Amino acid sequence: MTTHFISAEVDLHDTAEELHSAIEIELQKHGEPLRWAVTDVDVDRQKAVVEGYVLVEASPAIA
Amino acid sequence: MNPRPLTVVLIVPTGVGALIGGYAGDALPVVRAIAQISDTLITHPNVLNGAQLYWPIPNAVYVEVYALDKFAAGCWGLQPVHQNRIGLILDADIEPDLQLRHLQAVDAARATLGLNITDCVLTDRPLQVELRISQSGASWGTIGNPDSLLRAAEKLIKQARVEAIAVVARFPDDEGSLALENYRRGKGVDPLAGAEAVISHLVVRTFKIPCAHAPALSPLPLDPHLSPRSAAEEIGYTFLPCVLAGLSKAPQLVAPESQQHNQLSITADQVDAVVIPATACGGSAILSLSGRSSVQIIAVGDNKTQMQATPEKLGIKALQVNSYLEAIGVLVAKRAGISPASLGADISSLRCLSD
Repeated sequence: MTTHFISAEVDLHDTAEELHSAIEIELQKHGEPLRWAVTDVDVDRQKAVVEGYVLVEASPAIA
Repeated sequence: MNPRPLTVVLIVPTGVGALIGGYAGDALPVVRAIAQISDTLITHPNVLNGAQLYWPIPNAVYVEVYALDKFAAGCWGLQPVHQNRIGLILDADIEPDLQLRHLQAVDAARATLGLNITDCVLTDRPLQVELRISQSGASWGTIGNPDSLLRAAEKLIKQARVEAIAVVARFPDDEGSLALENYRRGKGVDPLAGAEAVISHLVVRTFKIPCAHAPALSPLPLDPHLSPRSAAEEIGYTFLPCVLAGLSKAPQLVAPESQQHNQLSITADQVDAVVIPATACGGSAILSLSGRSSVQIIAVGDNKTQMQATPEKLGIKALQVNSYLEAIGVLVAKRAGISPASLGADISSLRCLSD
């Protein structure tokens, strides 16, 4: 198991709940989200800048 | 009819350089004040922990941030306890003398405070904590051997039946670094906070048990210019007493549909207000709670942070105030059933909805 730091941009959504879901989905591409926050918003591009950690389970060893 | 209890959540995110609460438990005066006008005040270790210093607040609920995020999302409830049985994890990387200092801090908490700390486990490998600063300016970090941390926690839970876990990991001594120098002057970001959060999040996420962390560090040379905001961390050998005091009464974490859940459990639908630094509204808990129409988000402007995630940018409806003193006024008005807008000089005209 390892922890990884992830930085990502996520499209802003109409509601905060939708944004929450979109962030989790984006981070899940890299592992299980452990902690994250929107650190800034690019208002012109309508993008949320997200930093977070994900947890990656070790892959089983290949025999 | 009994009035609805006022349930408030106070968040000061860790490791983002909050001017108030970004140092050594220096948001405790804010907690103490808000607790006076709340029936229940839910907050987290970064806010309540002042190393050797802490303050018992009967209606304050000590919830680790991973658990707070789950609570806010409606996944977990908070079940009050009389006292938790606490286990201690010590990082194998801690030197023998420093280990002994921490064990003596535990003994002091048992003998002087009556806390129920029953068992200790040394990790089977050094945890290998490394510290980093992100592009946004927040502190973060990694641990090299997370599995070792989780094996130690599992041993405490299975063999000793502990109900809460205190972790002490050996953190790098970065004496002489600019980040540490700034921190001791009450400026900049706590360089340890991000890695501390990873450690406690891992344990809480895996075992659904209250957990908090204290770093083990070598004592620093005396600094005559030490900021009062950082001073609580330089009056003893460990940061552990506040963690043990907090965990002793930390609520158990229960799924709303579980058998342990009962009428005493606190759930997200009971939250009336959240108080948060205005630039740090981008966390999971705030985004979750902002979707509940009954929750008033109070964004405090003068508690500046390294973040730039304001309610306006995120499209979150929030009441902006300048200071915690003003936030407390808003909560008093809310408790009394008075619209804060009616306390100002200008009252807007009634809005007429068109077809």
